[in-house]
Amino acid sequence: MSTLLEMTGVRKRYGGVQALDGADLTAVGGEVHALLGPNGSGKSTLDKTLAGTVVPDSGEIRIDGEAARIGGPRDAHALGVAAVHQQLSIVGDLTVTQNVVLGLEPVRRWGFLDHRAARDRAAAALERFAAAFSGRLPLDRPAGTLGPGEQQIVEVAKALAREPRVLVLDEATASLHKEQVEVLFEVVRELRAAGVLVLFTSHRLDEVFALCDRATVLRNGRTVGTVELAATGEDELVRLMVGDLPHPADLAVAPPPAGAGAAVLEVRGLTTDRLRDVSFTVRGGEVLGLGGLQGQGQSELLLALFGAARITAGEALLDGEPLPLTSPARAARAGIALVPGDRGRQGMFASRPIQENLSLASMHRRALGRFALRASSERRAARTMVDRLQIKLGSPADPVSTLSGGNQQKVVIGKWLLDQPRVVLLDDPTKGVDVGAKEEIYAIVRALADDGAIVVLNSSDNRELAELSDRVLVLFEGAVAEELAAAAVTENRLVSSALRLAPGESL
Amino acid sequence: MNVLREIRLPGVQLSGTATVAMLVAAVVVNSALQPNFWSAYALTSNFATFVPLVAIAVGQTIVVLSGGIDLSLGAQVTLSAVAAVQLLDGRLDRLPLAVAAALGVGLACGALNGLVVALLRLQPIVATFATSFVFSGLALVVLPTPGGSVPIEVTTVYRDAVLGVPVALLAILGLALLWWVLRRHRVLRHVYAVGGDPEAAYASLVPVARTRVLAYVLGGLFAALAALAVLANTGSGDPFVGNELTLASVAAVVLGGTALAGGRGGAGGSILGAIVLALVTNIVFFADVPTTYRQLVNGAVIILALALAGIPALQKRRPAA
Repeated sequence: MSTLLEMTGVRKRYGGVQALDGADLTAVGGEVHALLGPNGSGKSTLDKTLAGTVVPDSGEIRIDGEAARIGGPRDAHALGVAAVHQQLSIVGDLTVTQNVVLGLEPVRRWGFLDHRAARDRAAAALERFAAAFSGRLPLDRPAGTLGPGEQQIVEVAKALAREPRVLVLDEATASLHKEQVEVLFEVVRELRAAGVLVLFTSHRLDEVFALCDRATVLRNGRTVGTVELAATGEDELVRLMVGDLPHPADLAVAPPPAGAGAAVLEVRGLTTDRLRDVSFTVRGGEVLGLGGLQGQGQSELLLALFGAARITAGEALLDGEPLPLTSPARAARAGIALVPGDRGRQGMFASRPIQENLSLASMHRRALGRFALRASSERRAARTMVDRLQIKLGSPADPVSTLSGGNQQKVVIGKWLLDQPRVVLLDDPTKGVDVGAKEEIYAIVRALADDGAIVVLNSSDNRELAELSDRVLVLFEGAVAEELAAAAVTENRLVSSALRLAPGESL
Repeated sequence: MNVLREIRLPGVQLSGTATVAMLVAAVVVNSALQPNFWSAYALTSNFATFVPLVAIAVGQTIVVLSGGIDLSLGAQVTLSAVAAVQLLDGRLDRLPLAVAAALGVGLACGALNGLVVALLRLQPIVATFATSFVFSGLALVVLPTPGGSVPIEVTTVYRDAVLGVPVALLAILGLALLWWVLRRHRVLRHVYAVGGDPEAAYASLVPVARTRVLAYVLGGLFAALAALAVLANTGSGDPFVGNELTLASVAAVVLGGTALAGGRGGAGGSILGAIVLALVTNIVFFADVPTTYRQLVNGAVIILALALAGIPALQKRRPAA
């Protein structure tokens, strides 16, 4: 069969992060081609360059041997590419029908909408999935009122309605039930028989083996290789994804100092709408990692401990005292600090001075008579932290937005250190941070633990978890699926542990 | 994961029932205060004053639905009106020319705003505030002091009635019909999609920038229609006539239940909202509020109405525990 799609040397840089660093992909019509790699390896970015939602810095895309210029989703559509992204393109206020035909609405003369044709087209695209809606297609319901799985199906139907030659499915099964996945696979197999190329990205290896013919593996934005899945074992595939990099030997961490005086955080049966019965104990001086696939409840667990989620059951005790899990302000007073993953939105005031950002969370410690602030003590506190964290800056009076990503993140961490927390919750602290700053942040995390703080670290980077954690809880669908203790915390082990958990399977 | 993010404010939006309830209340109070409220003369003259605000509110609705806002709509009304009245010069035979000029000015102003917002990517609230000075300034150049005249035939027909139905009411129904037609067009569907989620719309092949421009152009079209109504109602030109209409149009949109965040609502509610606002002005007048306090009371009543309007939205957004 002749080559349908050829991508060569695709590069894309986001700020300080090289998401794609010369990725290649060659695929033929009539195959289901898996795109694999650990978190942050560039799979989604590669998918997006093909769908036109990301324009690469360099690289070549050929379709049917002809050079293709994809400057936007409309170019991709003209070339026969349709995509289902992790981030759905559903407009919640429009109905299901309106969403399925969005951008390609059937019209009568002068651009007036043909409602009947639109309904027919949406019904035809969704019919296959009727079982997922218990038989009745919600064609006229606002799409925003559907559940996550149903929205995902609407998104798939929307892509199918475009009758693509190349269909990109990026984590399209993430929120589907088993039966819904089966229907989707059936449809994909039909498309394959009709000569369509399906690019399939999934964290679930069992799905990849069940559905795909070949797989291209990415690592750090580069293509590592393409394999025939029928001739490849699971271990071999995991090794390709993780690489044979030597593991840092200095990891033989001594068991945490369980001695007297160390603080103890005990979480019992914590349950929210996205967490199921999470229990664990962690001591001062220990770094507890949270691993697993992304979005399995790690961030929710941190938010819940910080009092920013609604708890339906369970409790958390710090040194035997129940923690108030009702508001971030009360959590902070109880000695808990959260360094959020989305620092731009939740962690800082980008346009305010560095000094002000640093001093904000701990102001109450320096306030005179509860409300007056003295500029000199504010400055001194900020200065201490700038020195301690080696934040590279022009002047503490500059806005935080003038700093690099890594130094911004240090400000977000430093703001809580001034409050001398007993529990530090870190949510993907090095996301989008360059390598040098990463190392410095690692040093800060270690120093925190050495000072006796309890550190809970969520990270999408398995190497980071392996390097920093004394123990790792692997989360799956909101529950603790496995606990890896010191010696077992290796990157290899983490990836395979996260990937081998099929839905419905537990340990 | 996004617990913190979900607490952000959704656009203020109120249900259709609240708008209708306010309209009923305003009509009841007004008819109690205004002698002969239901008489043919009073109805005709009331409706005649409503039309400009109704027209501009429909235009503002379209811009707001697309995720923007147009603070220059009032200035566009002024500029369209003075351009038309200068061309008219009291002559009936020049009416088609003047109408065409008004529409042309509105469309051109809308296109300018759209280009500034969609292509230069300036904040709509700031960009249109700036262009409003350009448009008002031009209006002063065209007609430095109030003046110009509209043929008597036009003003007479405007205050007439057809088979007992005031012409001005027909004009309002015509505006509603125009909205009904637009609503069935692809452009308006794209306006809703872009206002609802611009990134999803972009990924779904909607021409986002073009849709934004068209929303402002449609806003300008309705501003021009408002200008024609102003001329027919007052019979002469005034280079300051549109000043108060801008913020009134935003208030009408909110009272009518369209989310300021975009993507949700419709012009039907805004038309009712515009009538409520106009009735409030009437009520304040007939309640014998001293002239000095009229504006103050008017503003207070509008704030009260907007606050009432916000209550359902407040209840919906109460965050988790």
